[in-house]
Amino acid sequence: MKRYLSLLLATVFVCSLLVSSAVAAKWTADMKEGKLELKSAGPLAFGPDGILFIADTKSASIVALATGDTKATGNASLKVEGINQKVAALLGTSADQILIEDLAINPISHHAYLAVSRGRGPDAVPVLVRVKTDGKLEVLALDKVKYSVATLPDAPADAMTGPANRQSNPRRESITDLAFVDGRVLIAGLANEEFASALRAVPFPFQNVENGTSVEMYHGAHGRFETRSPVRTFAAFKIGKEDHLLAAYTCTPLVQFPISQLKPGAKIMGKTIAELGNRNRPLDMIVYERDGKRYLLMANSSRGVMKITTENIANAESITAPVPDKKGLTYETIEGWTNVDQLERFDAKNAVVIRRTEGGAMNLETVPLP
Amino acid sequence: MPDDVKEQRIKEAGNSRFLIWLITLCFFVSLFPQLVHSQTEKNTSLAIRWIPNPEDDRKVLVEVSGFSGVTLRHLERKMLSPAQWQQILAVYAGETNLAMLGTYRIVKDALQFLPQFPLEPGIQYRAVLRTLPGQAQDKPAPTTSSFQLPTRNTTPTTFVRQIYPSSDTVPENLLKFYLHFSAPMRRGNIYEFIHLRDSDGKNIELPFLEIDEELWDTNMTRLTLFIDPGRIKRGVLPLEEIGPSLEAGKSYSLVISREWKDSVGNPLKTEFQKSFRVVEADRTPPDPAHWQFTLPSGGTLAPLRINFTEPMDHALSQRVFTVFTEARQRIEGTVTLESQERVWVFTPTQAWRSGKYDLVIQTTLEDLAGNNIGKPFDVDIFEGIDRYLRTPTVRLPFDIR
Repeated sequence: MKRYLSLLLATVFVCSLLVSSAVAAKWTADMKEGKLELKSAGPLAFGPDGILFIADTKSASIVALATGDTKATGNASLKVEGINQKVAALLGTSADQILIEDLAINPISHHAYLAVSRGRGPDAVPVLVRVKTDGKLEVLALDKVKYSVATLPDAPADAMTGPANRQSNPRRESITDLAFVDGRVLIAGLANEEFASALRAVPFPFQNVENGTSVEMYHGAHGRFETRSPVRTFAAFKIGKEDHLLAAYTCTPLVQFPISQLKPGAKIMGKTIAELGNRNRPLDMIVYERDGKRYLLMANSSRGVMKITTENIANAESITAPVPDKKGLTYETIEGWTNVDQLERFDAKNAVVIRRTEGGAMNLETVPLP
Repeated sequence: MPDDVKEQRIKEAGNSRFLIWLITLCFFVSLFPQLVHSQTEKNTSLAIRWIPNPEDDRKVLVEVSGFSGVTLRHLERKMLSPAQWQQILAVYAGETNLAMLGTYRIVKDALQFLPQFPLEPGIQYRAVLRTLPGQAQDKPAPTTSSFQLPTRNTTPTTFVRQIYPSSDTVPENLLKFYLHFSAPMRRGNIYEFIHLRDSDGKNIELPFLEIDEELWDTNMTRLTLFIDPGRIKRGVLPLEEIGPSLEAGKSYSLVISREWKDSVGNPLKTEFQKSFRVVEADRTPPDPAHWQFTLPSGGTLAPLRINFTEPMDHALSQRVFTVFTEARQRIEGTVTLESQERVWVFTPTQAWRSGKYDLVIQTTLEDLAGNNIGKPFDVDIFEGIDRYLRTPTVRLPFDIR
């Protein structure tokens, strides 16, 4: 009997392995293997199975990179003091030549990933750095990796400059945030010539992105002036049974959109559920749960880190008229969380932040969620 | 002096500076074995040299010679990991104790370290050679050798070439500025170098849309600076307490601080100020029906000129127009803008032939207030979406005789 039981258990184990590898293969089956050449590395976001999405603004594309980092480490914290100085040392340069563009946490291993620019001029080299939970830094070797690329739908065609001069076309589209939600990569962007901010949803694994699968939408609930502002940061959030996108804008309305309505060509009316105050721009936003309640945590340029209650979000009033300062969902400013440049969720109980210190050093560390 | 001549001279000056820098570097590197030798005389058998990489002479590599053939073959066989190599030879940038990334290889009678990234001028690099594990005959005490590329010329040469719109009056609902620099600039925290001041010299608070990614072109010689859409005065809704960035009837200066560094790390040559007066808001979309054409004669290279009667967006005006023949063949040529972006001037590369032509314009063309052809900037938000996605065009036929 015991023998049968162990045989059965072994079979179940092998089957579960096969199923999990089949699930993993679903995401990477269409990827190619080879040298990944990034021209730039901007916002980052993790998808399933250790897949890292990288916005390469200079190539107007999103790269999905299978990092192979798919094992849990069990470590519950991260701390690296002077992360900018340490990255500079690895890359053989000085800290003032390093820009940390974005931070993402692999939800499986809890290793932190940084998009770094080595250099600050046109010849800057993009580098991806893994900060392991033991504090060690590694630069990702991209010579032989599995990846796929989604090229963003073309910029409006050049007229006089012509195809031969496309390289010199000064039009670029900047990407302000990136997230993987419900099988799609959501991309917020803004162009540097014609003024039109866009939010795109690209299904992953990437298919035929060029064929009009892009979505452009504007939110319009809040008077008129926000309608063309770019989304600065966003997070997925379930309201009732429906997945929503909460998007934060400069100066600082928080707007919700149902994700199911993000369809090619869709025109979606956003609902403004909070005005969080003037003279401010949001930097990063995460969602977490504590004592059965869900909160948003938002890092800002000039109003510290806000802990926003979401208890009444389902019944939140739509703000449709100008307000002098604040309205809608309320928040408290978290004391001690100062000079936060980057904010990411680490696990259910902790966030990871990168903070600037007075001497110019930047510290990366886990902090218990408030 | 015309701009293109100036530009050529600046380029030439840049090239010759680079040449001088390169010659200095080669001279310095050629001297270096002797310098290093004096630092490493304690271990007469081993020497660290910083030499140009034979595969890419813009890069420098570190070479340790003097090992016995047995040691080198032993190291070669061991297939060491990067961390193990660093126990033998590590290279550091500045005062740090974290070794630089690079690859190690054995060539003939030496060990070489090839930094993953090129060395930077102005940084002191150190190569530290440590004891070889289990190789008693080659046990050197830790030996250090330092190296620094010549520092670059620190004389400021970069300047603000132009700010668009170039007009000295702008509408109250102006949407953006383009800052053009004479050489590539440096990214990061740029907004602290850009100030909008009122006529009393007082800074306007947060007038611009500050984007972390910064809206540069590829060469990093042009920056787009959007007025924060939340700070553009509207006709209907009152603005919030912070007030609009620009108000009609007032004068302002856009000031670019000299402290802003170019890509080399030098500050700008001088501070730059653009002073302008603000007039009533412009909520009228550009209407091609009102544009005035000046047509060239057939058989000439004379330009086609279109007077918009108001200034247009500098960048878009150069990108959204195409001239076609009646047979839909595109006419190649160059575009310039005159009269403070009011006049579009197209000079063909080949002489005009008599016949019918079409000027095709993408309706995403913007005037200074962001009004598109057929659509003012701040009306119904959804009206323009299909237009943007499909980028429809307007066709203006004309005849060349």
